[in-house]
Amino acid sequence: MKAPLSWLRDYVDIQMDVEELASRLALTGTEVERVTDVGVPGDDQNLGRFVVGKVLECVRHPNADKLSVCTVDIGAEAPQTIVCGAPNVAAGQTVAVVLPGGVMPDGTCIREAKLRGVVSAGMILSEAELGLAAKSAGTMELPDDWEAGKRLTDYFAIADQVLEVEVTPNRPDCLSVRGLAREIAAITGARFDEEIAFPYPETDRRVEEDIAIEVRDPDICPRYAGRVIRGVTIQDSPFWMKARISHAGMRPISNVVDVTNYVLWALGQPLHAFDLHTIRGGRIVVRRAYPGEEITTLDNEHRVLTDDMLVIADAQQASVVAGVMGGLESEITENTTDILLEGANFSGPSIMRTEAALGLRSEASTRYEKGLDPEIIPLALDMACKLLVELCGGTVSTGTVDVRTEPRPEVVLRLRPERVERVLGEKVTGAEMTAILVQLGCDVQRRRDETYAVSVPSFRADLAREIDLIEEIARIHGLDQIPPTLPARREGWGGLTPKQTYMRSIEDLLAGAGLCQIIAYSFLDEKWADRLRLAENDPRRATVRLSNPLSGDQAVMRSMLLPGLLATAQRNTAVREERVHIFELGRVFRPSAAELPEEMSHVGVLICGDWEADSWLRADVRVDYYLGKGVVERLCAGLDRDLKFVAAGEPFLHPGKSASLQDEKGRYVGWLGEVHPLVLQAYDLKDPVVALELDADLLFASGSAATTFKDLFAYPEVEQDLALVVGSTLPAAAVVESLRRCGGALLQDVAIFDVYEGSQVGQGKKSLALRLSFRAADRTLSEAEVNELRETMVATVRKELGAELRG
Amino acid sequence: MSVRICCSEGGAITANDTILEQISRDDLRRIYTDGLATIGEAADLAALEAVRVRFLGRKAELVLLLRSISELPPQERPEVGKVGNLVRKALEDTVEAKRAELESRELVQALGSDQIDVTLPGRRLPLGHLHLITQTQREIEDIFLAMGYDIADGPEVETDYYNFEALNTPADHPARSLQDTFFVTDTVVLRTHTSPVEVRTMEKQRPPVRIIAPGKVYRRDSDATHTPMFHQVEGLVVDRDITLADLKGTLETFTRAMFGADRKVRLRAHFFPFTEPSVEVDVSCMACDGAGCRLCKRTGWLEILGAGMTDPNVFGFVDYDPEEYTGFAFGMGVERIAMLKYGVNDLRLFFENDLRFLRQF
Repeated sequence: MKAPLSWLRDYVDIQMDVEELASRLALTGTEVERVTDVGVPGDDQNLGRFVVGKVLECVRHPNADKLSVCTVDIGAEAPQTIVCGAPNVAAGQTVAVVLPGGVMPDGTCIREAKLRGVVSAGMILSEAELGLAAKSAGTMELPDDWEAGKRLTDYFAIADQVLEVEVTPNRPDCLSVRGLAREIAAITGARFDEEIAFPYPETDRRVEEDIAIEVRDPDICPRYAGRVIRGVTIQDSPFWMKARISHAGMRPISNVVDVTNYVLWALGQPLHAFDLHTIRGGRIVVRRAYPGEEITTLDNEHRVLTDDMLVIADAQQASVVAGVMGGLESEITENTTDILLEGANFSGPSIMRTEAALGLRSEASTRYEKGLDPEIIPLALDMACKLLVELCGGTVSTGTVDVRTEPRPEVVLRLRPERVERVLGEKVTGAEMTAILVQLGCDVQRRRDETYAVSVPSFRADLAREIDLIEEIARIHGLDQIPPTLPARREGWGGLTPKQTYMRSIEDLLAGAGLCQIIAYSFLDEKWADRLRLAENDPRRATVRLSNPLSGDQAVMRSMLLPGLLATAQRNTAVREERVHIFELGRVFRPSAAELPEEMSHVGVLICGDWEADSWLRADVRVDYYLGKGVVERLCAGLDRDLKFVAAGEPFLHPGKSASLQDEKGRYVGWLGEVHPLVLQAYDLKDPVVALELDADLLFASGSAATTFKDLFAYPEVEQDLALVVGSTLPAAAVVESLRRCGGALLQDVAIFDVYEGSQVGQGKKSLALRLSFRAADRTLSEAEVNELRETMVATVRKELGAELRG
Repeated sequence: MSVRICCSEGGAITANDTILEQISRDDLRRIYTDGLATIGEAADLAALEAVRVRFLGRKAELVLLLRSISELPPQERPEVGKVGNLVRKALEDTVEAKRAELESRELVQALGSDQIDVTLPGRRLPLGHLHLITQTQREIEDIFLAMGYDIADGPEVETDYYNFEALNTPADHPARSLQDTFFVTDTVVLRTHTSPVEVRTMEKQRPPVRIIAPGKVYRRDSDATHTPMFHQVEGLVVDRDITLADLKGTLETFTRAMFGADRKVRLRAHFFPFTEPSVEVDVSCMACDGAGCRLCKRTGWLEILGAGMTDPNVFGFVDYDPEEYTGFAFGMGVERIAMLKYGVNDLRLFFENDLRFLRQF
C-alpha cells in the first residue's frame, strides 16, 4: 500500500526523517518496499518556483497559430510574459505557473526561452504536467480566490514522499493511512490523534424514504449500512483531493468516486456509491447469487456467477459482486444526482472464494479477504458524507439504514508477565507492556494476581490469544533488545542416520568417479514416455498429475530420472558441451491407492561424449556398456553392496547392450545400458550414450550388517590362472558363479583378466582367462590342496557348463 | 673378518694395512696392490670387467696360484691358502664397490640426458562435482548437526492437512493467497515448504525435538526470481523453556558459521501463520559489509530466513501442551543462501544444469 507522508501526518505527529521511519517500520513487521518522492522535486527553493498566476491578457502569438502570448500576474511587481500552447488559456483565468529554473516532476528544468521570437518567462501548467492526470487537454484552471504569487504548495500538495509498505495478512488494519499512522505512533512513540469525527448537516428527509435494505445471508454479510445523498453534482475533485489520490497510486475519476476511494485509503473501509435511481424497487437485497446469474462488472466483463458468491441486488437483479467489483449498470455517471452510499462488511473467506472463482481482485476485495472491522463503517460513512457535501454539493438524508448481526463481544485477554518472559527470554516491565498495548489501542487493567486484563479494540481481530499480545510486546519492545542465548541440550545428540550417510556416500562416490551432479525439475511433460518408447501398459506411464501445472512442459511428476538426464545432455550438447557425464539423486513418484503417492529415491547416471577430455595423453576409455557397469561396480564397492547383471531389455535401451540389476536376493533394483538410438534421436544426442538408474532405497535396504575386520595378513594368498573355453553366448557370470559355488570358502576371488574369441578357440567359442585367489583363514594352503580344489572346480564347470581347459 | 674398502671417486684405492701386514709373499703383495690400483683406474663398467677378468678371472695369476696350492711346498701352503683367499676376497669386494660406484655414476648421467617438458598438462583424471545446492545444503546440515540436531524427512507430495491446516493455515486463511500452490487433488498438494515435516516429526516424537528438515519444495511461480521448484531447510526445536532469545542465539550462531564470524544479524518482526512471534532474519551484507550496495539494495542487510516461536495452535494439532512446552522454528531457502555465499546472480542457473555452471563448484 502507498501512503503519502503528508496524509499520514493528518493523524500522527511524525518527528523523524522518512528513512528512519522506514527502518523502524521494517524492524517491527511492516516492510517498506520503497520510499519515493512524487510530484515536484521537493526542495524548498524549487517548490517556490511553482506559483499561482492570474492571466491578465492573452493574445495570439504573432508567428504561430496555436500559441498564445499571455501576460501573467505572478504576484511580482511586473507581470511576466509567458507563451502558452493550451487551447483553453484565456484572460481572467487563475493558473498554475512554473517560473524559470523550476524542475518539473519528470526532471526537466524550465528555462526562460524564446518561442518563435517571443521570450517566455516560465510555463503555464496542466494537470498532467503536475502528475494529477494521465493527460490534459489544457491548462489547469485554479479557483479564483487563490492569490497570485502564492506557492501552489500553500493550497495543495504538489510534492510528497510516499511510503510503499507491504502489510502482512494478519494486519488489515494497516491497509489504511489512519491504521498505519496508529502503528507508526505505537512503534515510534509519536502522538496519535485518536479523536476523529466528521460532522455534516442532515436534511429533514429520512433515509428510509429512499431505500430499504434486506440482508438475506448475514452469515457472509455481517453488516450492511447505507446512506443517501441527494443533489450532487458530478465533476472533477479539487486539486488537493486529486493530489492525494494520485500520490496514493490511484487515478482521480470524479468527485464521488474519488471520495469513496479517499475514504477507502484513509480508513481502510471500502465504500460503494450507487446511482440511487438505478436501484429498482427502492430496495437493496444482499444475497447469494442465483446459479447462473449474470452480471457485467465495471471492467466491462460479462460474468456468470455461482450460488457461492454474494451479490448486491435490487428488487430484480444483481448489480454488484459484493466486495469484489461493482456493476456497470448501477455505476455513477456524469448525470447522477442522487446516491446510495454503501458501507458493508463481508466475510473474508467468502470474498477469497469469489476472487479465486472469478480471477478478480480489487483494492476492496484484497482488504475484505483479510477480514475487516465492522465497527468502522459508521465513521467511514460520516467521512464520506462530509466530503460529498463539501465536494459535490449534496445533502444527506437523515439516518442510516444499518442491517447487522450482533457485534462481536468484547475480547478481554489475560496477560501473564511471567509467560511473556518465558516465551521471549527477556523481562519486560509491566509499565512498558502496558504502554505498548495502550499505544496499539488496547485497554489494560492490572489485576490483583499480577496479571493484566487486556481489552482488544475491534480493529485488531488478530489479537485473540495471550501469545498474540506477547508478539506485540516483543516487536515493539524491540527484537534487538532480546539477548542471544542457546537452548539447553537435554537428551539426544543428533547426527546423520545410516541411510542419510549412505545417501551422501552415493553422491560422493559418483562425484568421485568424475560425474557432475545435476538437479532437474521433478516435473515432466506429457510426451516423455513416448520419447522413451515405453509400451502403453508400462507401469512407469502411470504418473502423478498436477491439476494446475504452470505449463504442459511441467504437467506430471517424474516416475524416472532418465528423461531429466537426457534433457540435460540435450541442453548441454546444444551449447557445444560435448562431454556430459552426469548423475542425479532425487525422488520419483508413483501413484498409489493411498492418499499420497509413493516416493522413491532414485539415482541416475548418464554418460554422453568422450570419457576423456581432448588431451595429448589419452588412455582410450570407451563410452559403452562396460563404462556404465564400471560406475555401478564402483558405486556398489563403495556402498558394500553386490548386484547381479542380467541381460534384459528396456524399450529405451539397446536390446543387446543392457541389463537389469538385481540385488543379492534377486530383487529388481534398476537397469543399465546403452541408450537406444531412437531415443537418442528424440533428444538430438549422438550414439553412444550409456545410462543407468537405480532405486537407492531398495539398494540401501539390500545392505548387510556393518563391515568388520578380516585378517588378510596371517596366511598368504595363493593365485592360480586358468583359461577356460566356453560357448560364446554363455554369460561370464555363469562361469564365475559356478566356480565360486564349487570353490567355497577357500576361493577368495575370481577375476576375469582376458576374453578371447577367434580362430584359436574355434567358431562359437570364447576363452576366458581367470585368476583364482585362494586363502584359508587358519593355515597356509599347500600347493597340493590348491591343485586338488582347482581340479574339482574345472571338473564342475566342465560338467555344468561344458567348459574346457584351454590347451 | 670384514674388510673396509676405501674407494674414492675415480682415485686410487688405498691398500688395507691389516691385510698388508699378513702378506709375506711378494707375488701376493704385488697382486694385491696392483689389483687395487688397476681397479681404481677403471673408467667404466667395461674396463672394470676387464680388470676383474685380469685379476680374478679363471686365468688370473692369483686364481691359478690358489688352484695349484697342492703343488707348493707344504710349509707355504697355509699362507698361500689363507692370505691368497684374503686377497681374492678383498679384490672381489673392491670390484663390487667400484661397480656400484660406476653404475650409479652412469645412471646419474643417463638421467641427466632424460628430460621431459614438465609444463605439459598431466593425465586428466576425471573430476566430478556435487551440485552447488547439495554442497550448500550439506554446509547448512553440518552446522546444525554439530549443534546436536537430527535430520528429518517427509514427502514432497503432501496432504493439505500437513502443508497448511496443521500449520495453523486453514482453508480460508488469508496467508494461503501468499503461496501459489500446485495441486494434485483438492486435498493433495506439492508441499510449498518443508514445514510439514515439523508436524510429522512431532506426531511421532515427544519433546525434546531438535531437527532440521531439508528438501525440495514447490510453488506455482516462474520468473527471473522464482523457480517452480526450490530447496528449503526447515528447523524445529521444542522443549521446556525454549525462548525467542534461544532462537536468536541459534540463528546468530548459524549465520556466523555460514557466512563468517564478523557477520551481524538482526531480526525483523514478521508474520507467518505457524509461528508467533514471527521474525525475518537479516545478515549484514557481505558485499559491502553493511555500508549499502546494489546487492543489499542499499540497506546494508540481506534477508536470509524466516523464523518464529511455534504457534500454540500447531502444538494443539500434535497434542503437545503449549503451557509445558515452547519451541521455535525457522526456514531458509537453500538457493538464496548459495546465491549470497557464492555470488550466483541468477536463480534459474541452479536448475538449468549447464555444465559451465556446475563445474565451477
